[in-house]
Amino acid sequence: MKYNWRRWFRAFHRDIGYAAVALILAYGLSGLAVNHIDDWNPNYTYSSENVNVGPLTGTIPEMAATVVSKLKIDPKAVRGHYQETATELRVFLDDGQEAKVDITNGKGTLKTVSKRVVFFEVNSLHLNNLKGVWTYVADVFAVAMIVLAITGMTMMKGDRGLMGRGKYFVLGGLAIPIIGIFYIYS
Amino acid sequence: MRRALILVVLLAAACDKGPPTSASSNAAAAATAPAAPAASAPAAPKGETFGAGVKLTSSTPIDTILAEPKKFAGQTVRVEGMVTDVCPKRGCWFEMAGEKPGQKLRFKVTDGEMTFPAEAKGRKAVAEGVVAVKELSLEESKEYAKYQAEEYKLPYDPAKVTEPMSIVRIDGTGAVFVN
Repeated sequence: MKYNWRRWFRAFHRDIGYAAVALILAYGLSGLAVNHIDDWNPNYTYSSENVNVGPLTGTIPEMAATVVSKLKIDPKAVRGHYQETATELRVFLDDGQEAKVDITNGKGTLKTVSKRVVFFEVNSLHLNNLKGVWTYVADVFAVAMIVLAITGMTMMKGDRGLMGRGKYFVLGGLAIPIIGIFYIYS
Repeated sequence: MRRALILVVLLAAACDKGPPTSASSNAAAAATAPAAPAASAPAAPKGETFGAGVKLTSSTPIDTILAEPKKFAGQTVRVEGMVTDVCPKRGCWFEMAGEKPGQKLRFKVTDGEMTFPAEAKGRKAVAEGVVAVKELSLEESKEYAKYQAEEYKLPYDPAKVTEPMSIVRIDGTGAVFVN
């Protein structure tokens, strides 16, 4: 009896595809996000509001305390302060918040940073920011993608299979990276 | 005589490894002993660890490095200070405050090697890496100033860059953000 390997390939392709769908979507979404990193920040959003605490006097710690008091910030949220220039004082707060004021006139900004929901997480996975165990998870996923490619390419036979119209699609797909590589080295 | 302007922040024309520095190109041959008096510091900082963490047991003050950067070029040092800025998009660098106003030292890693969170500003960092010093031409200095202005969303006036810059940074191997 002839061994039906295509049947196994279809089964592999189907079931590995089910298992990989979440990561394919996550990595695809992240890929779109980080491809356009020059145009937007795929991980964080920043907001800023103008503040005016009035001219500051005293030592740097005293001025920092005044900023915190005038902006009605919980002193427990203060991480530290830093004099950037002769006139610019920065007060660092929890969660990456920052008050930056001009010592001479008290005008400045209160900046807030927030993670982009979903994007931050999928980018961390896609770019392997986690390191450690996730490196091996990503390795398994990479092998799964190779298996999906091979089984997907070969599981059909006839006119719709690799030897039919499939070869033209494969060659077309192969041309894309080859053209890219020629572009890189030209 | 050319007067170098010591800039504590460092470049990375994009957020990659940045332009090669004399020290980074010789990193493999880098010495490991800090040549300056070490500041007191806890031997093993506890907190969020990045990369290889911190192995040296004593820190070199940032001010000391910035005062004589060429003396430290190519040496592996441990430094510590408050995080004042983090690479906003890729998290591939952060800056630490020195003792004096305006003094900062950038800790830079290759993109993806370590990713520092944008919310880390104000936290204490203990970091280890190789001191790199890069002398820029006037033209490179203008390019660098332009990049910096874009990164910090500040106005850029090339006419204000009149002297070649010298840039000092740490090519990082590991860091700990202390809890």
